[in-house]
Amino acid sequence: MLHALRQAKAQATATVAARVGIGGPVGSGKTALIEALIPVLQRRGVDFAVVTNDLVTKEDAERLRRSGLIDPDRVSAVEAGACPHTVIREDPTLNIAAGDELEARFPGVELILFESGGDNLASTFSLDLVDWWIFVIDVAGGDDIPRKRGPGLLRCDLLVVNKIDLAPHVGVDLDRMLADARQVRGGKPVIATNLKAGTGVEAVADAISAAVLFRI
Amino acid sequence: MRRIEHVLGSRLEPDMSEALHRLEHRGAVDIVAVPAADLARRRLLISTRSGEELAIALPRTEKLFDGAVLLLERDRAIVVRAATERWLRLEPRSISDAVELGYQVGNLHWRVRFGGEVLLVALEGRPEDYTARIENLIAARRVAVTVLDEEAVDSPPSHEAAPSHSHGASHDSHPHHHRDH
Repeated sequence: MLHALRQAKAQATATVAARVGIGGPVGSGKTALIEALIPVLQRRGVDFAVVTNDLVTKEDAERLRRSGLIDPDRVSAVEAGACPHTVIREDPTLNIAAGDELEARFPGVELILFESGGDNLASTFSLDLVDWWIFVIDVAGGDDIPRKRGPGLLRCDLLVVNKIDLAPHVGVDLDRMLADARQVRGGKPVIATNLKAGTGVEAVADAISAAVLFRI
Repeated sequence: MRRIEHVLGSRLEPDMSEALHRLEHRGAVDIVAVPAADLARRRLLISTRSGEELAIALPRTEKLFDGAVLLLERDRAIVVRAATERWLRLEPRSISDAVELGYQVGNLHWRVRFGGEVLLVALEGRPEDYTARIENLIAARRVAVTVLDEEAVDSPPSHEAAPSHSHGASHDSHPHHHRDH
């Protein structure tokens, strides 16, 4: 009897979509990362949707909707109206609702990407909202960013260091920056990207696929 | 890889407990040790002690906890064991030191418990990454620091609390201590 009940429960509910957060400072490349991931995920047959967060506009959502890369209905916008971290960490209710609404509209969706509004190095995601999260920094922000040990950089599941092509132009020692990042993160993964050229995007898609879609 | 899509119940529920007890005698209960910081995740790739890889993908209404039963079959079970949580015990020397410590810890969004005249901070990383943030208080001997495992944390009148910046609702500031009995 017990076994029958447990099996019935196990078969009762289809698994819901994986939820992945993308945070990081203003201008580091969060929206660019999503734009670069879209064709890669599509080619891999991943059924996905996106929730963007902006301060008082829907700028990032409109950018993605106009891109022609994704069905505009699959992009949902949340206006934080306050510091961006408040709606991904302190009270993620609006984002949770946006994710639920996308899942209801697109049955079978496997993955929802939540892009935070640009914030500072202390920005982190609540695990009530996402299952796994990425923090994006860029070399133009300075190679001392990893050494500042911001909670976003330390706690994220994957650190993306973007705009590596700019390193020689902004006086950044990229190898040292990546080594510092790996050292302060205690071995947790770091991926270097140049999103404009597509460098590193497959590796980010691999990391998402392995961590929450279990495609290894 | 075995996919786990539900928590079937708690090992403390009478019917579960009885079934697990029978299996334990046959050495057929496998344990998956989940780090405290990962208990809040609904998706997790993790191996059991016997080496079986689990792809855990729970509905958003379910959560892992110490004693969560993930598999219960006639000849085998898998149960979650929450890895011991570590705490930073911060003891301010005076009321003014306590006020300043509370201010700083709140601004840092650390997950805390109140322990009478000490503040306990849940460690989700290396202790030195935490102490470095309040180095001024420690170096001036205004706050004494020790690292404690879960068992060493006094349960009596401690009170769990969210960091001062929290705006309420559900978030990850509520460690639950489902101790073994």
